[in-house]
Amino acid sequence: MSLLLNEIGNGIFLGAFFGLVALGYSMVYGILRLINFAHGDFYMVAAFVSYTILGAVAVGNSHGQWLTVLWVGVVVMVITGGLAMLANQLVYRPMRRAAILSLMIAAIGLSQVLENGVLVTPQWGATYLVFPVTTPPSGFNLGSNHYTWAQLIIVLVSGLLALGVYFLVGRTLLGKAMRAVSEDRIAAVLMGINVDLVIAIVFFIGGALAGAAAVMTGVYYGQINYLMGFTVGLEAFTAAVLGGIGNIGGAVLGGLILGIVQSIGTGIFGAEWAIVVAFGALVLMLWFRPTGLLGERVARRM
Amino acid sequence: MIKTNFKARVLTSGLLVATMLTVVAGAASGPASAAKKLSPYLVGVPMPMTGAEAQAGTQIFNAELMAAQQVNKHGGVLGHPIKLLEQDDACDAGTAVNAANKLVSENVQAIVGGYCSGATLPVEPIIARAGIPYVMPAANSPELTTGGYKNVFLIDPSGSGDGAEAAAFFKQQGIKKVFIIDDQSSFGVAIANAAAQDITKDGGTVVAGGVQSIPATSNDFSAVISQIKSSGATGIYWSGYFSQAAQFATQLNAANVIGPNGTAKFVVADGSVDATYISGAGQAANGTYATIAALASGVGNVLNSRADHLFNAAYHKQFKSAPGPYSTFGYDAITALVLAARHVHSIKPARVIAGLRTLHFNGLTGKVSFDKTGNRLGAVMDLLEVVNGQYTLAKPQPKL
Repeated sequence: MSLLLNEIGNGIFLGAFFGLVALGYSMVYGILRLINFAHGDFYMVAAFVSYTILGAVAVGNSHGQWLTVLWVGVVVMVITGGLAMLANQLVYRPMRRAAILSLMIAAIGLSQVLENGVLVTPQWGATYLVFPVTTPPSGFNLGSNHYTWAQLIIVLVSGLLALGVYFLVGRTLLGKAMRAVSEDRIAAVLMGINVDLVIAIVFFIGGALAGAAAVMTGVYYGQINYLMGFTVGLEAFTAAVLGGIGNIGGAVLGGLILGIVQSIGTGIFGAEWAIVVAFGALVLMLWFRPTGLLGERVARRM
Repeated sequence: MIKTNFKARVLTSGLLVATMLTVVAGAASGPASAAKKLSPYLVGVPMPMTGAEAQAGTQIFNAELMAAQQVNKHGGVLGHPIKLLEQDDACDAGTAVNAANKLVSENVQAIVGGYCSGATLPVEPIIARAGIPYVMPAANSPELTTGGYKNVFLIDPSGSGDGAEAAAFFKQQGIKKVFIIDDQSSFGVAIANAAAQDITKDGGTVVAGGVQSIPATSNDFSAVISQIKSSGATGIYWSGYFSQAAQFATQLNAANVIGPNGTAKFVVADGSVDATYISGAGQAANGTYATIAALASGVGNVLNSRADHLFNAAYHKQFKSAPGPYSTFGYDAITALVLAARHVHSIKPARVIAGLRTLHFNGLTGKVSFDKTGNRLGAVMDLLEVVNGQYTLAKPQPKL
């Protein structure tokens, strides 16, 4: 029983990352019906950018330095948001009238460009890079499990960011415009909404969230690699579908469920079954509820 | 700003490829053309040059390059200058097969490469059909020499020794409950199973219902750590590679399983012996153990012999970085090939294979000779302990 509770705790932590990255997937899908396969690579690029900035500003290889990590995190969020916006401008916007399949192929291409771009950049490259700042091992006990303060902070920060997005989309005028564009792009134009700007902002927010997740991954796990975006992208995409792609709350819920299912799967069946259990859950979910947990009318055009 | 950056990246990638080609070509043809004008001796080198294992791959390739340059400076192989043809196997079975086919189609006369066993196993039949010698500097899964291929030679002693050494250590420490986990790679699985057998034979138990596996892409071990805690294991054995080992150790330390507040001992196999393990795990690396062939541990940080010192200095001078734990194996792999060819006075592949079979020489990694299956003879294992961020010989060494 205590193993089960511990694995739920581990799963929530894991799910915080999935949810944050899944939000970006879900928002872009919601507004463009595009599965942005390059999203995981925005996250990867963000990890490398924060590696370089932290390497330049952090004092020695020490633990903590919370304030430095905080402002670097904010800077990286802006940079990654900008990168996502630029990707939209250069790749997706010129293709707006193209078939959705062409856009998806373009997304895969963009993903390759980003991965190989990092690969050939001096100081980055193909090796595992050790992050200049890591989180201290001190923390607290809950049940028989030991959690670090960093884990708690990461879950809280993820929760706050997700809440922020939730309010932005649900309660502000900008959010209303986003929902309008998602509902009917042509009608939105006729109502005087600057559709291109709204789409650009959605990309910015998705990228910024991926950037935050990347900085937290770097300081917590301590190592980054140019292929790290692929796995995270796949898991976040699964989380987004599980929760109902296009739905803000669904992305976070899907992330948490995916994290918990994976952890419990490891605890009961062993680590080699974690992914089988997670994707098994996804298949079951799609069987009984093709739109995902909180999804509404989707699954067209797929 | 980022737009120009993209262009810059494309440009750098082009330049990088160009410089790499000149380095390789220049290395092989430059000094030797001064010696004699015979056709080059083409040696294919499949190594991980991208991906998680790229660092180790590069460190081995660099050492092979050094060895080839040395040989070429002294007249080449029977007058033929060595030319290394590098191919990226990305530590991936599919990529490795393509790389091997490409090298064979370029008519290489020998293959000297292989770090990841998973990328080496599927290549064995291709190289065997080509009938050319296949000298592996660092791949050492026990499965590699069970295929009955006559052309395979392992410079790094078979990994089954890792499992036996780890079992002996757990026995010495009085540890009965051991949690074993691999990374689902060919190398990791083979070593984990070997260790499980030896531990059971010594009266210990492999907890959690047997050997566990985690995908090589996973960086979160929290679920596994909860499993370890509930199983009551006091010994943990990791048979995968160094990048995951560093994350595993860090998280075990943070969870108070190992380290100052923990009671368990963490042991890793030789795939995790790397400077990146220590820098990645930081404080958490201290007090952890590793098993590795005695010959291999002589390099890098511990037990430096005079020859190793010279090698390290030369490597540092040429590549502006420190050699890796398997660099000397790469050097010895080329040396073995060259000595075998000189011994039989021929660079014909079949003759060189025969030459390797009867070869005896003292390399940077100690005495080199092979048994009938191509395994390195006389392998002795060392147990290393990380103390203050350095690999040291653990005292006392466990008795096998």
